[in-house]
Amino acid sequence: MAFKALDPLLHSQLRLAVMSLLISVESADFVYIKEQTGATAGNLSVQLDKLSTAGYIDVNKHFEGKKPKTTCKVTQAGLDAFESYVKSIQQYLKP
Amino acid sequence: MEDKEISPEESLDLIQTMIGKARKRYTDNSFFFLLWGWICLVASLAHFYLGTYTDFEYPHIGWSMTIVGGIISAIKGARQDKTTVVRNYADKMYGWLWFSLGMAMFTIIFNGEIINWQVVPFILLLAGIGTVVSGAMMNFKPLQFGAIAFWVLSIIAFRQPENYQMLLMGLGVAVGYLLPGYMMKHNLKSHGV
Repeated sequence: MAFKALDPLLHSQLRLAVMSLLISVESADFVYIKEQTGATAGNLSVQLDKLSTAGYIDVNKHFEGKKPKTTCKVTQAGLDAFESYVKSIQQYLKP
Repeated sequence: MEDKEISPEESLDLIQTMIGKARKRYTDNSFFFLLWGWICLVASLAHFYLGTYTDFEYPHIGWSMTIVGGIISAIKGARQDKTTVVRNYADKMYGWLWFSLGMAMFTIIFNGEIINWQVVPFILLLAGIGTVVSGAMMNFKPLQFGAIAFWVLSIIAFRQPENYQMLLMGLGVAVGYLLPGYMMKHNLKSHGV
């Protein structure tokens, strides 16, 4: 059986960490994701943009009072991609 | 964490770690159990006392505190929602569970006259559902024992006159809301879980 190519968008440390975090919750704040991944704000912003452009996550930027707030949520396309990524990894790890 | 390529083994480890981090950290809901526990305890004991030992025309006056309780709960809930940095499905289910039970309790009380004010046994049954499901979601046994107390008291309440039902209601909220509420608050303070 041929090995499936790993989704390059998910096969990167920070983006995979973000996706793994988001599939377990309904939505999460930028600050929370930054805290849990230990990433820098700049790098996290870039990676969230990439995931959002691919349609894997929904990024909602809004103001709460005077404070800007960014909330992220995984989409159905993101869930499907994550599932197929895990399946591909399992193929690689099969003895 | 950087934007670097990883091996399949590292991928799997990372997924496990992140899912572990996102695992539910319990929101402290003891405030609501204590608020409603005290409102219902005071209202039911006042109802019992006024109805049994006085000629006061409105023994149920204490229950008007539930309106204040509703407003406080809505404000506190909205504030919690605003300040939260991560939304869990469990929190969402928890909110809808108690909202539905609140609606059911309100419907029963609102139509109380039609069923000759035999509302307490039904309220106790519904409170038992709320505490047993909340207890299961938080893996917090005292709430589940509280639910058993609510159901046993409900069976007894069906066989008692209205005034004595109030004593059972008071006992129910003491065991089902207040005791687990204080235990939850203490646990969160001492263990942060």
